[in-house]
Amino acid sequence: MITKKNIESFIEKIPPSPKILNETLSLLNIGELVKAAKIAEQDLALKSYLKSIVNKPIYGFKNEVSDIGQIFGILGVSLAQQSVYNYMVTLLSPNKWALFKLNSTLFYELQANLSKRWEAILIHLNINDSNAYAAITLLPASIIVTEALFAQKKEEVALLRATKALDYNTILMRLCGMGLFDICEEIAKKWEMDNSVSAIVQAASGVKPSEDEEINTLGKWMHLLLFYKLSQPEFIKAGLNDFVDFQIEYVSDIYDDFASFMEIK
Amino acid sequence: MKPVLKNGIAVYSPQGFLDANSSNAFMLIEDIEEATNLKAEMILVSLKKVAFFNRNGLDIFIKLFAKIRKKNQAMVGFCDYDKKKYEAIVRFFQDDLNFSLFKTLDIAYLFTSGFKNANKKILIYSSDKSQRSAMAIELHDGGHNPTVAQSIEDFDKKKRNIDAYDYIIDSTFLGQMGQKVATRVTGNAIIYTITSYLDAEIGEQFNIEYHRNSLNVGFRLFIFDAYKVLSMNIHALNFFSRLASSAAEYNASICFVGMKFDKTPEAFKETMEDAGILFYNQMDDILQNKELLKELGASSSSNIKNKRVINKETILELPKFIDATVATLEMMTNAKATKEALNIRTLAIADKKDKIASSIGYYGDIDGMVILVFPKEIAKKACELLIGESTDDLEMILDTLAELVNIVGGKIKTLLSDENISVNITLPRTYQDIDSLMEVVEGRKGVQVDLLFNDDKFLFFLTR
Repeated sequence: MITKKNIESFIEKIPPSPKILNETLSLLNIGELVKAAKIAEQDLALKSYLKSIVNKPIYGFKNEVSDIGQIFGILGVSLAQQSVYNYMVTLLSPNKWALFKLNSTLFYELQANLSKRWEAILIHLNINDSNAYAAITLLPASIIVTEALFAQKKEEVALLRATKALDYNTILMRLCGMGLFDICEEIAKKWEMDNSVSAIVQAASGVKPSEDEEINTLGKWMHLLLFYKLSQPEFIKAGLNDFVDFQIEYVSDIYDDFASFMEIK
Repeated sequence: MKPVLKNGIAVYSPQGFLDANSSNAFMLIEDIEEATNLKAEMILVSLKKVAFFNRNGLDIFIKLFAKIRKKNQAMVGFCDYDKKKYEAIVRFFQDDLNFSLFKTLDIAYLFTSGFKNANKKILIYSSDKSQRSAMAIELHDGGHNPTVAQSIEDFDKKKRNIDAYDYIIDSTFLGQMGQKVATRVTGNAIIYTITSYLDAEIGEQFNIEYHRNSLNVGFRLFIFDAYKVLSMNIHALNFFSRLASSAAEYNASICFVGMKFDKTPEAFKETMEDAGILFYNQMDDILQNKELLKELGASSSSNIKNKRVINKETILELPKFIDATVATLEMMTNAKATKEALNIRTLAIADKKDKIASSIGYYGDIDGMVILVFPKEIAKKACELLIGESTDDLEMILDTLAELVNIVGGKIKTLLSDENISVNITLPRTYQDIDSLMEVVEGRKGVQVDLLFNDDKFLFFLTR
């Protein structure tokens, strides 16, 4: 169904991060928001993406924000970085979704929601690390990878999943010995993201806990946040709720804190 | 959301957070329609991967349960939860708890007629005395050895002796039991489970179409597990007499096991015997007696009077059947298949050693049976994706092979429906050796296709 060759071919096709984005990220890394905005202005697609993200209701601005400098200023260094990475992930997304009932608007919505909530979680956990901020951007890449690998096998997978409750990550692991989040790690390497970014996302898969306590804690919060978002009607209808297995035991020790933080009653 | 259907239980597994908004998205109108048409003995919602739910979140499933019960009388409820979730459900629905709650899916299986491993030692506790009794009766009727703890202290004490029990049941509640005539396949016999009072409704509860097609695909022994039948009236008697007459046309046998006539007129038994129905006290009187099984037609094709030949309609669709099989096997093994030879003939297997087989029947616009014969090693490889590891456990391999041939059947159904040919599929069967397969298909003509997966030979046979 899916072979190692398919995976290798997918990884090969991942483009390196464009020069403009690299420069923007480097400047953001050293806190040069204005200079970063000037560089980012040159990429019209990035500009349009940032505008669409920052004007979503979750950011709560009354008037439309359209200037990149203004956008970076509002977002601050970490969120601006996150947004650029989010944009890079969208470059991998298909023109037309076939496996999941998604479109670019809904996918951007998921990215924006995850990013904003993740920011709040990191503040709650007193973590101020740009790599921890950036990690959330890699998580939705797992959805794109699933779409890319399984879209042509939709019917076969549906029949298989009618017989046995297997999520896409398990199917891939059993067939190729490599999971969705391993492929995300490859994406992170290609884009020269810090190792801790992929370590957090691997932990957030719920099946590869980290030995590093802080990374593991972040993985748990991210895992729970993912399923909190994937329990929203639009994402359930998109078929995302069970694309990976929710590891309820893995998050059991942080659940009460999460529920109280999210005001779940 | 789609369920996973296995051994007569369909399980829905939502993940994450269940509230009024999300649960409506889990069960869309088409999902509800599909759920009410499921041919399952039990339909359950697993809460294993649900981190949070409130009453509104469960309401959509409660409405679904009511619809299912109204339409097909299957047993419905929730499973896979911890004590906290159990107490929450009981609190939410205390006045209206007419569905079932099973702490685990394994516990739910104990209450199905298809559970193969009877005679389990089971410790039961419920704070509700009538529940304790109801569970004990059901489990006892299912051939298990239940022990009822009369108090929580008694339960705590008994459960410490962990080796004494195969299963420990608590936080479980039996709602309305299903009234469907449950079906399972044992070897080459089909066993129907009938319960309680049998009247004109048996005609509704019994899937006559499934029965006819089981006859068509070669089943010759039908056993009614009637241990739990309290009595029957004249309408039920007429139904079974008609069933026996139609079975006689195929030289098939119909047996009743465990039927008591203390509340049913003895004259009914004579009428049924006259119609050709046989009565036995115990299931093992039949299933453990190889000579009798042979006599009753469960292991011999020589009884089949109406041998059906492979026809043009089937031949025309042959590529679809092969495609479905090859695609499924390729999906399971990640190996490419090549067709070696295709012949119309009786099934011929040169080397029977270390081979196992499985089959699935289909019926509807066209009918027939697909048989797959595997060398054990290929079967093991093909099952690895479903099992998750390599195993030598033959029973597990055969069980998984049944799942695999079910996927092939599902694929056939889809491919044929693309051509506007509508078929349903029967329960899959497995054969642990070629001799037991040959007893069923010997003398039948069909299309035999030899396939090669990497360097391993694998055989496909399509017959009617």
